[in-house]
Amino acid sequence: MGRHMRNLFVAGCVLLWLLPLYILIVNSLTPPEEFTGSVDWTPQGFAFFDNVKAAWTDAGIGDGFASSMLYAVVCGGVAVVVAAMAAFAVIVLPIPRPALWFWVIFSGTLFPLQMFLAPLFGMYADANLYDTRLGLMLVYAAWAIPFAFFLIRNQMTTMPPEITEAAMLDGASMRRIFWRIHVPLMRSGLGAAFIFQFTAVWNDLLFGITLSRSPEVQPVMAALNSLTQAYSTAGPPVVLAGAFIVSLPTLLVFLVFRGLFLRGITASAR
Amino acid sequence: MTDTVGTAEAAKPVRVRRRIPVRSPHQASRGTSTGRMGGPFAGIPWALPALALVGVLLVYPFLRSIYGSFFEDNGFTSSFTGIDNYTRLAEDPIFGRSLLNTFMWVAGTLLLPVVAGLAIAVATHRMRRFGGLAQLVIVLPFAISGAATASLWRFMLTTDGAVNQVLRGIGLDSWAQGWLLEWPQNTISMIVASTWQATGLNVVLFAIGLRAIPRETIEAAELDGATGWRMFRHITLPQLRAVTVVVVGMAIVNSLKAFDMIWVLTQGGPSRSSETLALTMYREAFRLFHVGYGSAVALVLSVIVVASSWLYLRRQMPGAKD
Repeated sequence: MGRHMRNLFVAGCVLLWLLPLYILIVNSLTPPEEFTGSVDWTPQGFAFFDNVKAAWTDAGIGDGFASSMLYAVVCGGVAVVVAAMAAFAVIVLPIPRPALWFWVIFSGTLFPLQMFLAPLFGMYADANLYDTRLGLMLVYAAWAIPFAFFLIRNQMTTMPPEITEAAMLDGASMRRIFWRIHVPLMRSGLGAAFIFQFTAVWNDLLFGITLSRSPEVQPVMAALNSLTQAYSTAGPPVVLAGAFIVSLPTLLVFLVFRGLFLRGITASAR
Repeated sequence: MTDTVGTAEAAKPVRVRRRIPVRSPHQASRGTSTGRMGGPFAGIPWALPALALVGVLLVYPFLRSIYGSFFEDNGFTSSFTGIDNYTRLAEDPIFGRSLLNTFMWVAGTLLLPVVAGLAIAVATHRMRRFGGLAQLVIVLPFAISGAATASLWRFMLTTDGAVNQVLRGIGLDSWAQGWLLEWPQNTISMIVASTWQATGLNVVLFAIGLRAIPRETIEAAELDGATGWRMFRHITLPQLRAVTVVVVGMAIVNSLKAFDMIWVLTQGGPSRSSETLALTMYREAFRLFHVGYGSAVALVLSVIVVASSWLYLRRQMPGAKD
């Protein structure tokens, strides 16, 4: 009896979780003009690509997609390199008060974003960085550093110091030791940090709506927000198609790099 | 589904409280080699880019926010008003509602995604064929952003949306309602929507914890005749304590920081009834241009976040003693 109950429970949960995804896909197939205002439970036509096209060009998801791809790849990459250097400084190199530096950098992930927004907005307005790609990239890179630093630092503590010492005996410079020894040995850890920060930047909405306004600069989630607020004029199938394409990159990253992706999150659980 | 994570972790028991050593082996063995590494400050240029970015774009704004919360500031002119913003908070009914919603989010997140995550992890644990697949399906929404989840759930929750259609379909017409239009249904339905998204993470974490329970413990309990509920209550649950601290800590912090989903679904409305502190800060500072007041809200939120994640943070800290 117990096993049947358990199977029933799991099957029920799986169905409950699949239902919204099913509705998303079925309704994003409906041509907007044929959408009756109530939910379709079976596919009505096949206008998926038209809906995607409407969301992509008319609603500006395409612009946001390109910007966000730039932000997520560049800022994720920069953050990982900068964080790895900082971890190298705190763990391997001599530095006074390593714990202090750890806390200064790590404090960036503790607080809610709201704590940074108002002064950032003022600073950006003064420095002419408001509504520029450079401005968003700077803040995304800074925001991605602390947690990447935390992940990389934790992995770097597990590397035996003899590796560094051996390389030093062989006469390698510190820069060479970092790029030729630490970076290659920590490939998977750096990859996990990159995937984690790529996803975080890609999924960000709050910085996007606060520090940018024009469609060429806004990240993709801000574009999706505008599209969703125009829910009835754009047509729900277009909104759903927009939500679908916006989720595609992170879903693909998740399915392909599942192990690395979850490693980023679960690292803090160990 | 978490095989890559799991196999690496299976052998390692989850410890109750683990501290990351501040003094790494590298530093311990440093005594003689400091000179060869380029003097006692050789690390500073390496840490500089990170410190500059984080310092200028996060730490400075953080301090500036605290400072700004003592000013009446509309974005153009500002004047020092002391703790006036904080006394106004205490009297503001919108802030009170916002605080209540925030606590509903915390309580709801502890009730739904955490309990559901535990139940699903236990039910799929050692399930022969479909356990991994079921976990994959449930963790899938976690890869979807809050904004996209909200766009989808808007479709579910509007007046003629999917939820109401299902309710009418099974004869519960009187239950069908404008889910997002009235308090407290709007907050509760958004918590349900976030449950759909966030449960997967808890399933993964609990699954890791379950795999770390030594087989001998379970076998010994089985020999003593423990099954079903008694096994769960007296063996499984105590063994999951360490993971539970992490899951609860992350759930609390995430629910306090929840912004995207609420902003896209209701923008805190109607008439600010579904705002949480995160939303109230944004609306006050960027829609109503009460920048100082917004900063005060942000500081209250930060204090709540740090205070309530203390238990969870303590595990991650390099020991307080340097």
